[in-house]
Amino acid sequence: MTSFKFGTLSIGAAALLAGVLGASIATKAGDEIKNATKFGNMNSVTQDLLNRAGGDGNNFLLTNGDYTQSRYFPNKQINVSNVSKLRPAWVFQTEVKDSMETSPIVVNGIMYVTTSFDHVYALDARTGEELWHYKQKLGPITTYCCGPNNRGVAVYEDMVYLATLDAKLVALDAKTGKQVWETQVADPELGYSETMAPTAVKGKILVGTNGGEYGIRGFVKAFDAKTGKNLWTFNTVPESSVGVWATNDATGRDMHRDIAAEKAALAKNGDPYKTLGGGVWQNPAVDLDTNRIYFVVGNPSPDLDGSLRPGDNLYTDSLVSVDLDTGKYVCHFQYIAHDVWDMDAVSPPAIVKVADKDGKMIKGVIHGGKTGHIYVHDAKDCSLIRFSEAMVPQENMWVLPTKDGARMLPGANGGVEWSPLATNPSLGLAYAINLHQPMTYHVESSAYPAGKLWLGGAFKIIPTEEQWGNVTAVDYNTGKIKWQVKTQQPMIGGILATAGGLVFTGESNGQFEAFDAETGAALWKFQAGAGVNAPPSSYSVDGKQYVVVAAGGNAQVDSKRGNSIIAFTAD
Amino acid sequence: MRLVLIAFVAMVASSISHVAVAQSIEEKAAVCAGCHGENGKPVSPEIPVLWGQKEGYIYLQLRDLKRGDRKHEIMSGIAAGLEKTDMQELAKYFSEKPWINLQQKSADAPTASQAQQVASSAQCEGCHLSGYLGDSTIPRLAGQSETYLLKTMSEFRSGARANNAWMVTLLKSYSDSDIAALSKYIAGL
Ligand code: HEC
Ligand code: HEC
Repeated sequence: MTSFKFGTLSIGAAALLAGVLGASIATKAGDEIKNATKFGNMNSVTQDLLNRAGGDGNNFLLTNGDYTQSRYFPNKQINVSNVSKLRPAWVFQTEVKDSMETSPIVVNGIMYVTTSFDHVYALDARTGEELWHYKQKLGPITTYCCGPNNRGVAVYEDMVYLATLDAKLVALDAKTGKQVWETQVADPELGYSETMAPTAVKGKILVGTNGGEYGIRGFVKAFDAKTGKNLWTFNTVPESSVGVWATNDATGRDMHRDIAAEKAALAKNGDPYKTLGGGVWQNPAVDLDTNRIYFVVGNPSPDLDGSLRPGDNLYTDSLVSVDLDTGKYVCHFQYIAHDVWDMDAVSPPAIVKVADKDGKMIKGVIHGGKTGHIYVHDAKDCSLIRFSEAMVPQENMWVLPTKDGARMLPGANGGVEWSPLATNPSLGLAYAINLHQPMTYHVESSAYPAGKLWLGGAFKIIPTEEQWGNVTAVDYNTGKIKWQVKTQQPMIGGILATAGGLVFTGESNGQFEAFDAETGAALWKFQAGAGVNAPPSSYSVDGKQYVVVAAGGNAQVDSKRGNSIIAFTAD
Repeated sequence: MRLVLIAFVAMVASSISHVAVAQSIEEKAAVCAGCHGENGKPVSPEIPVLWGQKEGYIYLQLRDLKRGDRKHEIMSGIAAGLEKTDMQELAKYFSEKPWINLQQKSADAPTASQAQQVASSAQCEGCHLSGYLGDSTIPRLAGQSETYLLKTMSEFRSGARANNAWMVTLLKSYSDSDIAALSKYIAGL
């Protein structure tokens, strides 16, 4: 259970890596080799290095910190007592001034960031100096619901991997930024596109797909890291997508399904699996012990119109686990069957050690939902152990969408949108950022439009109602909210917890902030000049810890655009 | 105008049926120039500017016209004679040409403000991007022919143009006067 040894492993690995890196350290050749075999050749991202990412206080190797997706950075040089001194060390401005959702990845002092429209930059993580810049030449058709976003790269051995708006997976030479190979993941003309960062593990590059707003059939695919060859595909919508005709959601609330009408539609039109949606927006968590991955599957297509898609619409709005080597189904848990509100599952799940119903500590998986609940599962069979108190107001759930619009809270962006959670394993807390955006849900049926936007109606923000957001800490062993901080605007982006007892996150109004992980006390803030709607990362070089975040605004919440990557230090 | 166009289409259709013989892209595109303009300025205000339009958008319109998802008495026939690769080549060819300024007048202040109000509530620029310049499968609208904009938006509203359910639903919630203001405003950008 390497994934749970945050405490001891973090300190050990961080100290040793610092030793390997330190330029002036006069170790004997023998020691160097020993360290090198233990922690990998630092010029190349080995599997060993990735396996230990959760305890690596120098690098930020995976989009959500480590394979468990803890977003818990084990370095405490920046901590509650010195965070007030945090100031920008450098600012890098990209060429693209649009939505930034990138999670900076840092390997041995080199940082990789991406921008809207699929540019990749390699930067010197100490100075922000540009080392190379890659622009993907996009094909004529790119289809995206929510902005021309990209959420970052994956690193593996000597390559950097990017997934693109025109649904390609691209491998770049990490040293030069030159393209090594590219492969078409799916057909963009049918509404497929990529905005997520890929996940690299055991010689495979894993990607999901966007397109739940376009009538795709979703998937997670694995590609060979060296060649780009497709190794396996897991279709998130099985050929029999009907399920058990669940009438209640995961929390036991009635979803007001008209099962008789659905059964009639099924008899008439058959199983709707071919255009049922089920995108996978975010990275899977990887359980190295069991060789399983866990990811969440997005909404069914069309979003608001259930009349064309009878049944539970498996595995949309679900947590799903598959075997890493084969892509074979292991287990799933559906939060909302036959969703007609786009209340889907998008925030990446995290593997944590958690108390089960009897208080026994087991391996669990947590996910922050658009509903505003954090769901806690048993990793063994995906079953639900508990769900947290609602982090945002819920009203009128589950009223069915109407032609003129029915008001329901949360709005269709959540709760928790695609923004990843962070965790602090010693406190047993998960940190989520939330939106409160009152909306009306409108249904208007239309036929499958061959890869074009297919909402089956509309979500409308109610202009007269107040919108806001919050940062919430939830005790995942009890489901209780530990603390909550309200923010001026609905929150989208991400959050990072550190061993320094801190939680970092940003707001649409340009504030980048640090909170006390235990109490939520605001300890520090910085005005970045554009929406901070991206997950922060942390790293250290030459013994100095940095926190880094992108400030580029966001298309989905239309916050002020910018083009900055800002790195902070505390001296 | 209609008669002229129909007469022309017969010519066009016959020239297109010869496409089987290997033709350069210039030869294929020459047919289009008869209406969409030798130098990018369409021969009539009912015909949209094609030069500098977005590649993905042009391709999808030709695809939809061929499939019958979008219908037009002239263009449907023309698209019917095109293969997928023709459509792709034509889309690339026209998108690489410069956008032509039709010298349409800017909207007067009250019209512009009416249009901007609608545009902000409907988040037009959220999709069509700032300045209505479009990208990929989203068309450029800025400076497009006012007559064409009014016609095609009215057809979205009536459902006669049904190849984008979202535009249909969206535009239905506005009045004739809003649509006229939008056409005038966007054409004059
Ligand atoms: C006989 C006149 C005529 C010819 C020739 C013609 N077009 Fe058109 N085209 C039109 C008209 C009129 C429209 C507007 C259709 C409508 O109102 O829906 C149009 C619309 C289009 C559109 C849709 C543009 C938009 O903004 O939605 C495309 C794309 C297009 N034409 C491409 C072509 C191509 C490529 C050719 C040559 C192969 C061609 N046209 C030849 C008259 C013509
Ligand atoms: C959700 C995204 C979205 C929004 C919001 C949106 N559009 Fe569109 N619009 C599109 C797409 C996509 C197309 C291309 C339609 C197709 O594929 O046929 C389009 C097409 C059009 C066209 C046809 C252009 C042509 O050359 O034929 C016009 C005109 C237009 N939109 C105007 C508007 C206006 C005015 C607004 C605001 C009131 C608006 N749109 C809001 C996505 C959008």
